[in-house]
Amino acid sequence: MSKFPLYDTTKSREMFNRASQVIPGGIYGHLGPAEGQWIPVNRWPSFSEKAQGSYFWDVDGNKYIDYMCAYGPNVLGYNDPDVDAAALAQLKLGNCTTAPGKVMVECAETLVDTVACADWAFFCKNGSDTTTLATMAARAHTHKKKIIFLKYYYHGDFPWAQKIDYPGITPEDVANNVIVPWFDLDALQKAYDDNNGDIAGLIAQPYDHGNFKDNEVASKEYWQAVRKWCDDHGVVLIIDDVRAGFRLDLAGSDHFYGFKADLICFCKALANGYNMSALCGGEHMKATVSGITYTGSYWMSAVPFAACIACINKMKALDTPTMFRRLGQMVTDGFKKAGAEHGFDLRVSGEPALFYLRIANDDNLMLHQEWVAECVNRGLFITSHHNHFINASLTEDDIKLSIDIAEDAFAAVAKRHPELRG
Amino acid sequence: MTDSRTLAYINMYAVLGTLENLCELDDKAKEIISGIEKPISVAFDVKNGPSATLTFSKNGCRMDDGVNADCDIKIPVANCDKFNGIIDGKVTPIPTKGLTKVNFLLKTFTALTDRLTEVMRPSEEALKDADFFRLNTLCTFYTVSVALSQIGNQDAIGKFSASNIADGDIQIGITNEVYATIRVKDNHMITIKQASEKPRAIMEFCDIPLANALFAGTVNSIDHVGNGNITIRGLISMVDNVNRILDRVALYLA
Repeated sequence: MSKFPLYDTTKSREMFNRASQVIPGGIYGHLGPAEGQWIPVNRWPSFSEKAQGSYFWDVDGNKYIDYMCAYGPNVLGYNDPDVDAAALAQLKLGNCTTAPGKVMVECAETLVDTVACADWAFFCKNGSDTTTLATMAARAHTHKKKIIFLKYYYHGDFPWAQKIDYPGITPEDVANNVIVPWFDLDALQKAYDDNNGDIAGLIAQPYDHGNFKDNEVASKEYWQAVRKWCDDHGVVLIIDDVRAGFRLDLAGSDHFYGFKADLICFCKALANGYNMSALCGGEHMKATVSGITYTGSYWMSAVPFAACIACINKMKALDTPTMFRRLGQMVTDGFKKAGAEHGFDLRVSGEPALFYLRIANDDNLMLHQEWVAECVNRGLFITSHHNHFINASLTEDDIKLSIDIAEDAFAAVAKRHPELRG
Repeated sequence: MTDSRTLAYINMYAVLGTLENLCELDDKAKEIISGIEKPISVAFDVKNGPSATLTFSKNGCRMDDGVNADCDIKIPVANCDKFNGIIDGKVTPIPTKGLTKVNFLLKTFTALTDRLTEVMRPSEEALKDADFFRLNTLCTFYTVSVALSQIGNQDAIGKFSASNIADGDIQIGITNEVYATIRVKDNHMITIKQASEKPRAIMEFCDIPLANALFAGTVNSIDHVGNGNITIRGLISMVDNVNRILDRVALYLA
């Protein structure tokens, strides 16, 4: 008998079907059933009714402890009172105005004071806005054309960051992308030589946190060698810290790995769900960025800036990176132990604050997908293909509950697979 | 953009290859081959392109890769464009071996390929018949399944997709109707017209009407993953890349 009854998701399905009538794909992108890997779809919640702290409730009234954190933005807990208070106070003063709110300057100053490589901040809305600006800046700065990517990259969904075989992408969109493997300095040099040195920049996440695969952390030595190589070859080093930013180190993930990026992209954890992103960089890149034509209707809205300042100050006060590492380790240790008790070899990879999970008993993720579905359908929201996220409202009691649900889900899958016991 | 060489591989293995299934599934095709007294083989040999041998008997049809040295009729083709012209009916094939058996080409083989065209390019009226609709869908399933591998191996963008597929079997199918396996090894793809014993990824369409609509391009697979009519599981990155190639199948088979 299951300790945690399976959720009824009837209303979720109804709402999804309603959405499909008027929204392409029902829910498009990473939150939807295809990219979000709802396997099988009827075990997943589609739309939420409300959220608080580490939890959200779906339209059927089911409560989920959430390790995806809206795929990153929820860094302090949903509806954090300090961030919301700052945002609401700014809303009363003004938000999207002809002359930007002065809080924009205060927000840039906060980032410059916080991020080790930042001498300035340029604000946008989404991660893709910043990675696009970063590659434009690299080209403008060097007057070169090509950008090096590291394999399994994801730098947003703008055409230049997609791949040649994706719908709607032309060969010309991606003609200047050069892809090399992770952790291979010789490949960098070969790519540079093969392209006659026409390399403007290298864009990379701080470690290999690609989807559908075990994540591979970087070493300080690797990044210091890449930094030197970029300096020696006049290549702008861009760190896409959209996903990992502020979860490893409030001074930036480049600081965590012991080097300084030329440009660094932030978004998800910047303002606890208020919509903004920022490109930060060194003084040597500032004039170049000043000269680039790049703006958006809502990019200088004041409310997210106020939220961002409050969010960063609270992350500093709580020392969230240390907290996230500890909590991430605690929850994954518990999952592994619970899995082992039922014959599952659960592999944990990546940084603990952004842990990635994979059951390794088979070679096709099917057992893992079964377990994830059992977890989700009992109220533990995790995914089968993507790294997870810790937020600051997560308590040790929440973790205990998570491990209990995970254990119950392991038991359910083990019952269907007696072969796991040998 | 499509290229003539990839199209020739599709025409050979996916289109002509579907004669195997037509002869198994279609009463009219069975009737056409019923008069074959002893097995007869026809080999197509395309310079700088595909080559295969089709063997017909009163019990069915089988395609083998390459030119069978013992084939009864051999049709060399100067290039991929000419072969594509033969499939389109714009170029007349000229055998260099088996001239005495040319009657088979003119009668039985032509009748079969005409029937294949009728099944694969049906009128809206014909599709109103449930049995014909099913036949059209199943034959299209086999054609698409084989075309996937040809595009993954030959087409420039298809090769990029194939280069991102892990080794192993991807099983595609229509629930309780028909299955095929796309086997990937070192980025090379082959299609086996049966279910996989140990798939690493699965994509399954819930029924014949959905599969037909997907092949006709009137619905999108993402929508039907969302509503559960298409089931995916396993290494979804394999399915993702097959779907990217599937997008190009329509381009070639249009």
